[in-house]
Amino acid sequence: MAAAGSSVKELASQLYDACADQFSTDHTFYQQDLLSLGVIPNDDLSLLLECAQSLVNQKLFRLLEAQNKRLVWRLVGREDAEKLKNLTGDEGLVFTVIHSSGRSGVWVRTIQSRTNLHKSILDRCLKALEGKNYIKTVHNVKHPTKKMYMLAGLAPGEDVTGGAWFTDGVLDAHFINTVAGFIEYTVSRKSWYEVPADHGRTAKRLKTATGKADINDPAEKTYLPYPPAYTGYPTAEDITRAVNKSAITPVQLGEESIVQLLQMLCFDRKLVELSNGKYYKSLKNPALVKAAQARKPADGEEPQAAIDLGKNGMTESPCGPCPSFALCTPGGAISPETCEYFDPWFEKVLGF
Amino acid sequence: MLMSQYAVELCTLLIEDNFGELFARIFTVLQRYERLPFAKLKFHSRLTDRQLRHGLTAMIQHHLVFHFTSLEDNNTYYESNPNAAYYLVRSGKILNLVEDRLGEYAARIMETVMFLGHASVTHLETLPQLRSLNLPTTNGTTDPNEETQDNEMEVEDGPVQTNGDHAPEEFKPAPLHATLKALASHGYLMRVRDASFQSPADNFLEAQRVASSRPGNKALKGKRQQEAIEGDTQSLLQERLHADLSETLMVNGLPRGIKRKWANAASGSTNEPRLANGVNGNGTHAGEDDEENDWSEDEDGFDNVPMEAGMVVRVNYEKLDVALRNDRFVSLAEQQAPPATTRVYESLLRRIEYNTTKCRDKTDIPREGEEGSLYSQPIPADNLLRDIDPHMDLSGAFAPLDSSSQLVNGRGKRPLENGINGDHDDANEDEENGTNRAWEINQHLNLLSQAPYNLTVCVELYGSAQWQINFRGLARKLRHLELERMIESRYGDVALRVIRVLHAKGKLDEKRLQEISFLPWKDLRQTLSSMQAGGYVDLQEVPKDAQRQPSKTIFLWYYDPDRVVGSVLEDTYKAMSRTIQRIKVERNRLKDFLEKTERSDVKGHEEEYLTDEELELLQRWKDKEALLLGEVARLDDMVAVFRDY
Repeated sequence: MAAAGSSVKELASQLYDACADQFSTDHTFYQQDLLSLGVIPNDDLSLLLECAQSLVNQKLFRLLEAQNKRLVWRLVGREDAEKLKNLTGDEGLVFTVIHSSGRSGVWVRTIQSRTNLHKSILDRCLKALEGKNYIKTVHNVKHPTKKMYMLAGLAPGEDVTGGAWFTDGVLDAHFINTVAGFIEYTVSRKSWYEVPADHGRTAKRLKTATGKADINDPAEKTYLPYPPAYTGYPTAEDITRAVNKSAITPVQLGEESIVQLLQMLCFDRKLVELSNGKYYKSLKNPALVKAAQARKPADGEEPQAAIDLGKNGMTESPCGPCPSFALCTPGGAISPETCEYFDPWFEKVLGF
Repeated sequence: MLMSQYAVELCTLLIEDNFGELFARIFTVLQRYERLPFAKLKFHSRLTDRQLRHGLTAMIQHHLVFHFTSLEDNNTYYESNPNAAYYLVRSGKILNLVEDRLGEYAARIMETVMFLGHASVTHLETLPQLRSLNLPTTNGTTDPNEETQDNEMEVEDGPVQTNGDHAPEEFKPAPLHATLKALASHGYLMRVRDASFQSPADNFLEAQRVASSRPGNKALKGKRQQEAIEGDTQSLLQERLHADLSETLMVNGLPRGIKRKWANAASGSTNEPRLANGVNGNGTHAGEDDEENDWSEDEDGFDNVPMEAGMVVRVNYEKLDVALRNDRFVSLAEQQAPPATTRVYESLLRRIEYNTTKCRDKTDIPREGEEGSLYSQPIPADNLLRDIDPHMDLSGAFAPLDSSSQLVNGRGKRPLENGINGDHDDANEDEENGTNRAWEINQHLNLLSQAPYNLTVCVELYGSAQWQINFRGLARKLRHLELERMIESRYGDVALRVIRVLHAKGKLDEKRLQEISFLPWKDLRQTLSSMQAGGYVDLQEVPKDAQRQPSKTIFLWYYDPDRVVGSVLEDTYKAMSRTIQRIKVERNRLKDFLEKTERSDVKGHEEEYLTDEELELLQRWKDKEALLLGEVARLDDMVAVFRDY
């Protein structure tokens, strides 16, 4: 019977290979599917049963029950089967649940309800699995407080990490600023025309346009806007390519992530969309962009320093930022007569 | 007209500042009790008959009070006109604008008319300060704010600014009629009609009564009668209130006396920057006055026909708001567009100003999103050709099209070559270049029609591209700019991004808001809560069940610009009042000293009578006052954006 046993094993292995070849890994196999592969001679049902059982024992097949109480099987990868073989029954159960969640991870409570294991047993299983380096905990941006697990070999999906802009579940402000700055400068380079400085004729023309601009500083570059018909503004695709080519990002960023960031830049009024979002144009020319970015580090301490939009009556007048403006009445405790903000304001503006 | 507490406070302060306590008292009573007959007014104001009659007469002259005599009970009712009171604060800006456009003499006429409330042409003829082009020496510099500073003294004794003893050295008759005509054809001055002394509501009711008593309308019934009456009322109102002089006085669709800033530049060196020349309007006026006012002679014989002698004119604030608003649009363009483009835009706006009579059709402030769109009259680019300095370099402002794009475009080369021509100062070439220049002007306007400017709109009419302005859209843009400035200065640029996201996307919950705005939780929550405390954003709760548990409730953040504008407008009124009140406080502090400087023997001879310290003190005081008044004017800019544009 030993020969028969080994032939069953061989046959089972053939069956497994045929299944892996012809179907995707998450296909559910019915009896007919397995027979139709033509591996089992004479459609011998008892032989098929033996083979299937052998595969299930080797953890290469997983036995499931379909809706109509029929038995179905699913393939398990050889590596996973290898791992499963080393696990106890409960651990295997937990591993399967975590395995089924794929790249999105699964919450501990969900594992508990699916496996119906006691919490202490579940904890032991998880610990064992983690010790064997089969699974890992992940941080989900949407549910930062939930403890979630996924297979150690997988990278968490977009919805778990929050996309390219998150590092360990936290918005990576530094990275975003770097990429945003790079994008603004790149777009700016393409949306303004740099006047060649050595060109005598253009220099002369400049003088009429901006007064004595070129006398001040010959190193200072002059930028001109492109005429309305110009179509060389970069698209989201161009920008993505430029970002990925540069050395600033360790991972390849998808176009979707870049579009997200471009939208943010549009809200910041650094870029504008042209032709319904097809092209992007920068509002500032490269020199100004550079100057603004150079100023940024100092801004950290003093956020009031950069006012791009200019001022108006309410921001200049002492009444605008006055914290007790609502209480101010002539003759009251807070009144224009006793106001303490006017005198410093005179000093600041008039210099005495 | 219903006005808020702070607006009323401000108007009262302005009247008190300009005309004195009597006016302010009458105005306050009328504001508080609205419409009053004489006896009631006397009772509430506790003034004597004499005082009240004097006061009312002068206030009616200044259009600060409406009056209406009812045919039913023969009573005359008085009502305050807070709008006219508010415009007192804008007088400085208006005079500046008129001086910039039509010269110093026109500004002087304007000032006189403002000062008198309204004036007949014959009366203006007799005024000594309008007789000669040169100013009486005492008021060498016309501070635009002087109008508001002048204290109550001056009202009683009429035109003070002329010192009768001053005999002009060269007696050249001033072009009073021509200048008046220029002012009227620009629409800055308008005729005073009987109806303009009555409040809008009275005018409407009276017109309605007349319309419904017409025999033709009486015969009709039901809905058709109503419609007929409505139509008649509107046309009657229009007929009675029609005071615009500009249409009849325009020459070829253009008002008279347009100053061409580039007219004399052609003779000088052409490479002189045109921009500086434009600025000249404000600064170095004194020397050029004679020259600039000469336009009346070199135009056509038309101008020698005098204005109708009996006509009474007043300032047309509605039209001036249009002009002031256009200036704001130009400054919008200036922020981002190249200088040449701004100049082109300015001349387009000037053209549009000539056929726009007021900023809005309706008097109430339109709500965000419900304002519809109001377009100006379309102007073909060819018309601008004559208005733009022929020596201005139009092509140098753009980069050559074919430098970096692969798109081969024949036209791309043209502006380049043209630019070289422009440099050669060759005036003769202008005619053959006419079409090119028109094309270039189109290019400039086209640039402005694109994002981020969106300042112009192109329409195809009669087979050619014409340009117009979307007034409502731009007014909205100005409004948001003012709000965003305030938000940026108070809450930083993070808040600005949040506000823009909320404005673009509507109501959002925190999670979604964070995803779009790319902000860390902590910053976002901090900003949102501080802005909520400041009244800029609001939180809406949407409970999922009847228990309204917080855990089962969706919280949505939103930004309602209408609400914010409303509260900011009130704050602005209040800040203006406080600033004016502060001027009084500061004046009181220096009361004794200032009284000394205002003594009739000291005034005008400060250097002789005052010590050095006193002179310095005086200078400081003047600076301070100028600063405070300037601040009021800046605040008024905001009011204009929120309320008038």
